[in-house]
Formats: sequence, structure tokens, C-alpha cells
Amino acid sequence: MKRNNSNAGTDGRKASATPKSGNGAGSSDFASRFYGIPLPGVNIEELSGPLIVLEGSDGSGRSTQVTLLTEWLESEGFAVQTMGLRRSLLVAQDIDGLLEENAVTRMTLALMYGTDFYDQLERRILPAMQSGLVVLADRYIFTLIARAAVRGIGRDYLHGLYEMALRPNLTFWLNVRPEVAFDREFKKAHSISYWESGRDMSLSNDLFQSFIRYQSMIKREFEYLANRHGFIEVDGEGSVSEVNGTLRKQIAERLGIRNTHYRPSHALAHLWR
Amino acid sequence: MATVTPDISVAPEAAPEKASAQRPYPGALVVVEGTDGSGKSTQLYLLKRWLEISGYRIHFTEWNSSPLVKSATRRGKQRRLLTAVTFSLLHAADFADRCERQILPLLHGGYLVLADRYIYTAFARDAARGCSPKWLRNLYSFAPVPDLTFYFRAPLDIAVNRIVAGRPKLKYYEAGMDLGISLDRQESFRMFQERILSNYDQMVETDHFVLMDGTLPVNRLQRQMRDLVRERINLEPFAPKRKKKKRHEAK
Repeated sequence: MKRNNSNAGTDGRKASATPKSGNGAGSSDFASRFYGIPLPGVNIEELSGPLIVLEGSDGSGRSTQVTLLTEWLESEGFAVQTMGLRRSLLVAQDIDGLLEENAVTRMTLALMYGTDFYDQLERRILPAMQSGLVVLADRYIFTLIARAAVRGIGRDYLHGLYEMALRPNLTFWLNVRPEVAFDREFKKAHSISYWESGRDMSLSNDLFQSFIRYQSMIKREFEYLANRHGFIEVDGEGSVSEVNGTLRKQIAERLGIRNTHYRPSHALAHLWR
Repeated sequence: MATVTPDISVAPEAAPEKASAQRPYPGALVVVEGTDGSGKSTQLYLLKRWLEISGYRIHFTEWNSSPLVKSATRRGKQRRLLTAVTFSLLHAADFADRCERQILPLLHGGYLVLADRYIYTAFARDAARGCSPKWLRNLYSFAPVPDLTFYFRAPLDIAVNRIVAGRPKLKYYEAGMDLGISLDRQESFRMFQERILSNYDQMVETDHFVLMDGTLPVNRLQRQMRDLVRERINLEPFAPKRKKKKRHEAK
């Protein structure tokens, strides 16, 4: 990522050592495992497992990569716990219901997603980390923050809402252009989802335009978040095996895995494009 | 268990005493707060009856009553899935739904909105469960500030007895059993209510509560309440319009 805003000349070398915010994401400093205050009743020292986050829009190949990484890590002897959006026991089905109706408003939806997130974190993820499992998150608070922010909910409010979230050890952003995401999504589902095209925001009556405009807004939020939280940006337009290789390399380094060679099993071979 | 008393009274945004003129809407918001058994719901019901019998434009809303969020809350309570944080978030989602679809549109439409419990219930109760007061203040920062907040206060013993006498068995979350402070439901309820009461007390100053003595006779308390509403809220805009008379005159 290009983020050297022309600092008059080339003395940027010394300066770059100073205030690169958000770079704590890669640090294993346990004191900063939460963004703000810790969750009530959680002992930070018991959380040994690492948290690895994959972010990216629909059509970025995120879920495919989570599936492949899970297999790779398991073959290397690491137990994996996954999380994602709308997967909590507590409210996942209620959010599904809300999304089907048009009655729900932005703040209610944002808070239901917040409930969904914390339910997974407290009752599934933290126990897994205490047992030393590797947690792979197929989307995390960043998607939730971006979606709510483009709908006009304040960023400070949202960062406050998620201040008890765990800080990931690695956050990958599979970045794809909205046009590419559109092609991939259309190929997969033969239609474009109401929410992924931001139709609740009345951006355009043309669904393609609406999708592109909405995903571009989300992307701008992600650019801001990437800088603030030290994302590792990955070109999501590469082939599945290329992207997977990049992710494996970074994760292997973090977990101390020497062998990064991987071929998917027969069951997952169809994903390897 | 943490023994440090949480500071509930994190300074809120300026909440001037008589601010209805400065609000971005023509409506007004009157809320009642207090522990279970403080008599607040009875009093708000009587206030509502007084206003609706006289034909005022009012709307009544109750804590934890949004149909959109109801099934989630019910499931969470029945299966005891709720933590302090998710308990709080579900109630905030419920509030957000009522706020965005009822309270705010009605305030903008010039209604007098009466709320049985408001955000202070979350501040007092969720902090008693261990949520950070600062986090809670942020969580509810989208809520409009009430024009008048009645705080019905009854001593712990009286309030607890009123609830316990009328109920065969206290519910799990109601009794604060999730806090793990006592295995005895009544004892747990009492200790939980004690924390909530102390949290409410801390907000009297910072959030401009009007303190009401919950031990007074019902009708006397109601008289005080009506006097205060007349004194603090300009009821004129909510009064029934006398259109008929004018029409007659025109003819």
C-alpha cells in the first residue's frame, strides 16, 4: 500500500519508525489484546490461541480461503475454530428474519450484529482460545463497522461498541475491485443480493450501479480501517492457489510452521482454481 | 468479583433543565425510572390515563417490548445464553428499534412520548451486571435526552417485598442469578436490586432526575407527578385542537 504522503524529501526513513498507528495488530503483546476495556470476567493470560481474520467483500474469495486454510492447519496438527457473521446461537436466526423484512432500521440491525458478534466471541471463541485453538474469522468487526459507517452511524460510536473485541494477531484484507466482485457474485448466485448491493440506501435503481457504488463506499471505509488497524492487504483478484500461498506464508511465519507446502484434499480440489 | 463501585454518573452531554425549546423536534419526552417495585409503572399508567382521557396527543412505550427483538430475548433467557454484554446489547437493539421506529418519529411529529423505563435502566442494571459504564453511555448515545425524568425511589426492603410478595418464583435473570452472587433467588434478587438502587442514586444529579418518594400513597404521588408535568412541560401543543368550534363559526 502506498501511504507515504510526500513528506518533503527522502528523510522518511527515520520518520517511519515513529507513529505508524495500528501496527500493534501483529504484536503478541497480551496487554493489548482488547481494543479498549476487556470483556467482563475474562483473564487475558489464558488466551493462548491466535486469532486470524480474513476480511473482504462478497466475491473476494474469503470463505473459500477459510475452508482451505482450515484444512491446511489441521493437516499441520492445529485445531481450528471458525467464526463469521450471523453464526451465533443467540441471534443468527433472528437476524436472518430481520434481513428478509424491510422493517428493520440501521441502528437496530447494527446492534443485532453486535449481539451476534459478542455471543460468538464470549461463548465460542474465547473458550477455544483458552484451549489453544487457532481461530479463523471469516469476517470480523471491520465489516460490521464499515457497513454501519456508510449508513451514517458514527465511527467513534462503532469503535466504542466493539472496544471489547479481541485484537486479531493477523488481519488479511482480500481486496478486489467492485466490478470483479460483481462478476464473481453473479456467476455464483445468478442474482445480486439486496443487502450486498446496498439497496436499502437508495443509491440507484440500476442494480449494477447500486452494487458498484455501495461496494466502493465500503471499500473506502476499509482503506481507512486498513490504515488504522494494520491490515495486510492481499490482491484478491489473484487465483485461489496464489492467494492461498500468500496467506499460508504469513500464517506459517506467525505460528512457526516450517512446511508451507499444501495441496487440497480430493474433497476440496474443486476450490483450487 | 469486582468490589469497585462503578461510576455510573459519567458526565452525559449537557442536559439543560428546561430545554424543550432547544430540541430539534416539537415533541416532548417524559420517562419514569426506578427499581422493580418502586411504583413507577403504576404512576406512569395514571399519568397516561389522565392525558389520554383529556385527549392529548401521546404515545406510551415500554422497556423491552419491541416485537422485532422479542424472540431473541426470549430464547436467550429461556436457554440462559445471555452474558452481561449480550444481555445489554439485546436490550439496546430493542431500544434502538423502538427509538428509530416510534420514539423519534413521534417526537418529530409533535407527540408527547411517555416511556416506562429508559436508557437509565440499562445504565443502572447492566453496570450492576459488570458492563463498563463508559461503554454503556456510548451504546445509548443515540437516544434523545428526556425533557423530564421521574425517579421513583423506594427503600430496598419495601421494593423487594412488593415484588417477592406478588410472585411465586423470581425468574433467573430477573433475580440476577447470572451474576453468581448467591444461590438463593430471593437473596440474589435483593443484592442485585441493592446494586441497581445505588447506581440509580448516582445518576440523580448528573442526569437531572426528579426524585419521587415511592412510599407515599398512590393518589398523592400522582398529584405531585401531574403538577410537575404541568410545571415543566408546555402541554399546549399536545392538547386536543378545537377545530369543530371554528367550523361552526365559519358557517
